[in-house]
Amino acid sequence: MKPLAKLASISKTLKNEVVTDWINQGKKVVGYVCTYMPEEILLAADILPYRITGKGARDTSLADAYLTRVNCSFARCCLEQGFRGEYDFLEGSVWVNGCDHIRRCYDNWNAKIPRPFMYMLPVPHMFSPEGRQWYKEEVVKFKDAVEAHFNVNITSEKLSEACKIYNETRRLLRKLYDLRASDAPPFTGAEASIILSAGFVMPKTEYNRLLGSLLNEAEKKSKAPQEKVRLLMTGSLMDDSEFVENVEDMGAIVVTDALCFGARYFWDRVAENGDPFEALVDRYYTHVPCPRMAGEYPTRRDFILNQIERAQVKGVILQHIKFCDLHGTDNAMLKMDLEKKGIASIELEREYGPLGDAGRVRTRVQAFLEKIGG
Amino acid sequence: MIVAGCDVGSLSAEAVILKDGAILGSEIIRVRPKAEQSAIDVMDKTLRGLDLSYEDIDYTVSTGYGRETISFADHNISEISCHGRGAHWLIPSIKTVIDIGGQDCKAIRVDKDGALEDFVMNDKCAAGTGRSLEIYSEVLGVHISQLGSLSLNASEPVTITNQCSIFAETEIMHYLMEDKSTADVAAGISDAMARRVKMLVGRVGLKNDIAMTGGVSKNIGVVTCLENMLGTTFVEFTEDPQIIGALGAALFAADRLKKNSKEP
Repeated sequence: MKPLAKLASISKTLKNEVVTDWINQGKKVVGYVCTYMPEEILLAADILPYRITGKGARDTSLADAYLTRVNCSFARCCLEQGFRGEYDFLEGSVWVNGCDHIRRCYDNWNAKIPRPFMYMLPVPHMFSPEGRQWYKEEVVKFKDAVEAHFNVNITSEKLSEACKIYNETRRLLRKLYDLRASDAPPFTGAEASIILSAGFVMPKTEYNRLLGSLLNEAEKKSKAPQEKVRLLMTGSLMDDSEFVENVEDMGAIVVTDALCFGARYFWDRVAENGDPFEALVDRYYTHVPCPRMAGEYPTRRDFILNQIERAQVKGVILQHIKFCDLHGTDNAMLKMDLEKKGIASIELEREYGPLGDAGRVRTRVQAFLEKIGG
Repeated sequence: MIVAGCDVGSLSAEAVILKDGAILGSEIIRVRPKAEQSAIDVMDKTLRGLDLSYEDIDYTVSTGYGRETISFADHNISEISCHGRGAHWLIPSIKTVIDIGGQDCKAIRVDKDGALEDFVMNDKCAAGTGRSLEIYSEVLGVHISQLGSLSLNASEPVTITNQCSIFAETEIMHYLMEDKSTADVAAGISDAMARRVKMLVGRVGLKNDIAMTGGVSKNIGVVTCLENMLGTTFVEFTEDPQIIGALGAALFAADRLKKNSKEP
C-alpha cells in the first residue's frame, strides 16, 4: 500500500491496524485529548499515546443524556464513542483542563466508563515563572503516576530517546508544511488533514517512516502551480478532512493552518541539549498557545500572520465549533486584525461530526471566494 | 443573446430570462422535494410563457441552495453574489442589500460595480427567516401575505423574547391565550424579525442606498420595523423583490457568455 493510502486507512478507524499490532505485542495504549499533555513521557514508558477524538460518531444519543445543551459537539462525539465501547482498547486516558467542554466529557467518562488509568493533568492558564514551576510540578506528578501504575522507570535516557523520535516527527511535518507553502503544493489541505490525523493514533517511529517516504515521493514529483485560492484555516479543533475538502471543492486550497491538529502541534521542538525533563516542560508550556492560555492572543496572531506570509495566503477560514467560546472570541479578534492588514477572512460556525450542514458551509465559502476574486 | 438565471431556494424557486440586457420574463414557484425538479418546473413554466425552449437559451447560471444539483445550468454562483448583482443592476446606487429568504437571511454589501464587497449570513437557525414567518402565521390563523398588513393595525405590540422559532411559537400561543389581539402579536413578530436582521446589518455596516430582496421583503410589517430601527428608507425595486437572485444569476450568465465568446 502507498504511504498516503496507508495513513488514510489508519486515520479512518479508531482501533486501527497499527494500534492492534501494538496491543498484540502486549503493550498498552493510553488516550489523551489535549496537546498540553507531554506525549514523550508515555512513550518513554513504552506506552502508545493515542489522541481521543469523536471520529466515526454518527449520532450522540448516549452522550446527550449526560451533557448539557451548551456542551460542544466535539466533547459530545468523544463521549459518545467512549459510551459505545469504541475506546475500550485504551488502558486509560489523560485529560487536561483545556476548556469546560472537555472537562465535562472527562467527568462523565471517569464516572461511567473509567479505565484502569484515569488522569487529569492540570495546566496553568497563564505564562509566568510561577506558572512554569506549577506546570513542572504537575508533569512530575504525572510522570510519577505513570511509573507507579505501569510499574516502569522513566529514565532520562528513555525520555531523551522519546524526545528525539518526536522531534523527528516535528521536523518531517515542518517539511510537509514547507512543501504545502510552495507555489505548487503537492498535497491538498484535505490530504494534509488525513496525513496529520494518522500521526496522532499510531507509534511515531512507524509514522516517521511512512511520512518520510511520502515526502520523498512528493519532492520528486514536479507539480505545476495551481490557480486555486490559497487559504489558511484556524480555529477550533479540526481533524475532519471532509470539511476541508468541502471548502476546497469551491475552488480553493488550504495551504497552512494554526490548528492544534496542525501547525500548532508540531511547530516547536524540544531542546535536545540539557536536561530532557526540563526541556520537555519548557516546550509543552510555551508552544504556540491555544486560546485557553489567557493573554496570549498576540503570540497566536503573530504566528498566523507569519504563516500567511510564508505560505502566500490570500484568505483565512476562521472556523469554530458551536459553543467553543475560546476560539469563537479569538476568531472575532483575528477577523479585525486581519482586516487591518488587508487580509480577507470568513467566520464559520460548525458542528463537529457528520457533515449535516455541508450546504451551509459551501454557500458561505463560495461567496467568500467570489468576494476575494477566486 | 438569451440567457437564464435559476434560483432554487429552500421554499421557492425563481427563473429569469434576459434577452440582450432586458428582462423577457420570470416565474416563481413553490419548491418540490428535489432541487433539480424545482429548477425544471420553474424553467419549464417560464419558457412556456415566453414560447421558448431550452435550445433558445445560450447560457444558464444557477444559484440558491440547490444550485449545485441543476444539470441544465452551465455554471453556478452563490446566491449572495447574485442578490447583490441583481439589486445593483436594477438600482445602480445600491450599496447594501438585505435578503431574507426561506431559511436564511443575509446582509450584503456591494461595490460601485455591483461586485460583492462583504456579507454576513445568519447561523444555522430558522429564526428571522421566511419559514419562521410561515409558522407564526399558521398559529395566528392568517395567510402569510396578510401578516404584514395585520401588524400595522396594532395598538400595543407584544414583545417576543425567544430567538428560537419553536420557542417563539410557544410564546405566540401564550399571548393568544392571554387574549392579545392578533394585530398586536403580528406586530411583535415583525419587531422580533427586524431585530434579528438589524444585527446582521450592524455587522456588515449600513451604507445607503439600501434595499430588501427575498420573499420577506413583501411583508410590510417587517419592512417598516426594520426601516425604523435602521433609521433609513429602503429603495423600492421596479421588479418583484423575490426574483432578484435569479436576475443576478441571469446577469452573470450574460457576463460569462460574453467572456467565453471573446476567448478564441
